[in-house]
Amino acid sequence: MPGIIARRTVTVPPPAHARKKSRPPPRTGPPPSRRRPKGRRAKGRAKPRVRREKEPPSPARGLDEPLAQPTPLPRSVLLSSPTPLRVAPRPLHIVMVGWEWPPQHTGGLGVHSYELAKELTRLGHRITFLTPFTGPFTSVEGVSIRYPGAPEAGVPPEFPTAYWVGDSPGSPFWNATDGYNAWVAQLGGVEDADVVHVHDWFGTEGAIALARRLHRPLVMTVHSTEYDRSLGHPWDHVLRREQIGIDAATRVIAVSRHLRLQLIERYRADPGKVRVIYNAVRPSERLANIEPNRRVVLYVGRLAAMKGVDTFLRAAARVVPQFPDVLFVIAGEGSEYSRLLHLTAALGIGDRVMFLGKVSDDERELLLAGSSVFVLPSVVEPFGIAALEAMAAGVPTIVSKTSGVAEISSGVFQVDFWDVEEFASRIAELLEYPTLRRAMGEQGRWEALREGWSERAREVVSVYLEAMAVRRTP
Amino acid sequence: MKIVLYLHMHQPWRLARFRFLDLGSGRPYFDHDRNLGIFRGIAERCYLPTLERLTRAARQDSGFRLSLSITGTFLEQARLAAPEVLDRVRELYRTGQVALVAETYYHSLAFLVPPPELREEVEMHRAMLRSEFGASPNVLRMTELAYSDDLARFAEAERFQGMLAEGWEGVLQGEPSTMRYCAAPAPTVRLLLRHYPLSDDVGFRFSSTGWSEYPLTAEKYADWLAATPGEVVGLFMDFETFGEHHSARTGILEFLSALPEKVRRHPHLGWATVEEAIQGPPRAPLSVPYTMTWADQNRDLGAWLGNDLQRSAFEAAKKVGVAVRRTADPALLTDWRKLLTSDHFYYMYVGGHGADQGVHEYFSSYDSPYDAYANYMNALTDLRRRALQQLGVPTLQ
Repeated sequence: MPGIIARRTVTVPPPAHARKKSRPPPRTGPPPSRRRPKGRRAKGRAKPRVRREKEPPSPARGLDEPLAQPTPLPRSVLLSSPTPLRVAPRPLHIVMVGWEWPPQHTGGLGVHSYELAKELTRLGHRITFLTPFTGPFTSVEGVSIRYPGAPEAGVPPEFPTAYWVGDSPGSPFWNATDGYNAWVAQLGGVEDADVVHVHDWFGTEGAIALARRLHRPLVMTVHSTEYDRSLGHPWDHVLRREQIGIDAATRVIAVSRHLRLQLIERYRADPGKVRVIYNAVRPSERLANIEPNRRVVLYVGRLAAMKGVDTFLRAAARVVPQFPDVLFVIAGEGSEYSRLLHLTAALGIGDRVMFLGKVSDDERELLLAGSSVFVLPSVVEPFGIAALEAMAAGVPTIVSKTSGVAEISSGVFQVDFWDVEEFASRIAELLEYPTLRRAMGEQGRWEALREGWSERAREVVSVYLEAMAVRRTP
Repeated sequence: MKIVLYLHMHQPWRLARFRFLDLGSGRPYFDHDRNLGIFRGIAERCYLPTLERLTRAARQDSGFRLSLSITGTFLEQARLAAPEVLDRVRELYRTGQVALVAETYYHSLAFLVPPPELREEVEMHRAMLRSEFGASPNVLRMTELAYSDDLARFAEAERFQGMLAEGWEGVLQGEPSTMRYCAAPAPTVRLLLRHYPLSDDVGFRFSSTGWSEYPLTAEKYADWLAATPGEVVGLFMDFETFGEHHSARTGILEFLSALPEKVRRHPHLGWATVEEAIQGPPRAPLSVPYTMTWADQNRDLGAWLGNDLQRSAFEAAKKVGVAVRRTADPALLTDWRKLLTSDHFYYMYVGGHGADQGVHEYFSSYDSPYDAYANYMNALTDLRRRALQQLGVPTLQ
């Protein structure tokens, strides 16, 4: 959408390059070269690319020096939450008391933790990331991931892996949360930590105890509150954990001004210690996690029961042993996420499935461009525009027979939504036979593009005319 | 003028859905029950009633003659699904008004595979006709009526006296298709050509209500035949034209029954088998340097090897053939030959436009050419693994 971007760049704030030449930046903070970008990155900047080579770390950079030219923050943010940027005098060791870590993430907390930790390591800092989940984890240099029961030399595992499953009070999950906190509280080998950083409520008890034991400051990031998540019917034990964290933390990070206000008003947080730091997106980085030599089988869509993503996963489990270079990528978020995550683990294909969370339009386009096969395994799918988009991108596509898109295409494989073996076979066939991939890609593209919205609009007009011809009002 | 009615009887061994995940499972490639089920249906609607009418016509003293070709895969299925069809064919053959025509046993593209495949398959077919019907045909037709100078040389080497081919203007250069020709590179081989307009009037257009000549009556058709100049008129079509491609409701069977009688009203018309029709001096030598067939608008191999899917599958099949032959395992060789049957490649045709596409869809046993290709390649890949295993060549997985 070049038009929109162009319009944005001529209104406030002016683009960085224009500003540099015309007038100096406003003197509300340190000079721009020292300021780290905190807001959303300007849209349209730095077109992301799939499978980009990682940038080699540059030793010439200062520890806290931003990697890219900073983007000016919206004026309102600067006014409401002055967060003076300081340069760390030495590399820090941060103990991050987290929850999820990729490939397990919903696009929220998991992504945040990952992106943040990764960027912190680029600045030269070291992270010990704590999670209650077992791996496999996406590895990041400089981040050591620890979890209860992780094999450690000379230390017997405290909790079996199965201990960590469940999602309601009374289930082992809650015990697991307690167990996780207990484990965090007594965690060894982090005596040289500089700061303990806890995300949300899950690990506040343990994080507080750990920070006290180590005599280190506690920082807490609040991503959302129990009031919001529960639509006004909070669970007490969650509230309590949030509250103690906010009370005990030396600094609290809120991901929006709105949230900051909520923390101050509802949790009586000291306004002086609550900072606002926004989330960011970094499409190219996320997609760069897909290694260049991997072939991608893609699903894009919500993670809802009707979408049949479990079929996708079960089919993946049948395919992966025979295709060691293939990665199954799931782009989307939804209520089924945790169930699908557990299914992935149960199927033993955690290292072959990547949950990307919600993707932007740009990212989706890039994902499609880099995918070998697209699968839409919906149980119910009135149309399935995601499949049509994949076809238009020339990606050979497999849809369930129940999807509407199957009606207009002969260039896709159509499979009964329950038929895991058939989905798996169709995926394997497309991976195995390049001629088939090419032929279906071309045919699908032709079918998807032969009629566009203008034809559809004409059809709708025809219906208007039909309706008008009836001359009857409801 | 002699009318040469030649009917082709063929059913392929259609593949079962052989999934990629079925590789190495030992599952059969061919769907026995489905194939036999289809065969029984067609026997009911087409083979039995049509054979009965043909036999009746042959027994009447109307001079009615015809020629038949019967593929090996047809015969195998008939034995299992409807042996009475074979009894009826024998009965018809015994009337003495019928010639049988030689071809490849598997209705295959063997003529595009390195020797000795073609010779062996034709030999198999000859042996089958000998043992089943006591027939030793001296006229050859190649799969899909394929013809070329090379095939004429092959026919000569195998001591055939005649071949069947398409009467296509592109080759005839203004000469009539209703004459006897000989092959330019092999003059002992006489050529009988298909009169495609008259053949397709029955084969394709008979039940087409949008056709200006609809309905086609036997009388009208006999008049057309009578008005056609020349010595021989080749009416070559699928046997399944009668009762299957055109259902009995269209009146096609009555048309067939009535035709000999209507033809008899034209004194200069008569019937001849292919073996009778090749006797006599040829009008001219005919040279066909490329492979001509009876299919589609282009009369080439495009219906079987026209797109990437088809060519890729066929090239793969040829490669697998090398390994299969090296094993000398009859079971592997049989499976491979069944996979060479031209129908499998026909199912992979991607048209999208025009009259040909409708014809292809009608004949396909798959939802799409992509289904056909994937399934075929799976079976072929499995066959390759079996062959390589026997040869002790390590394969992946």
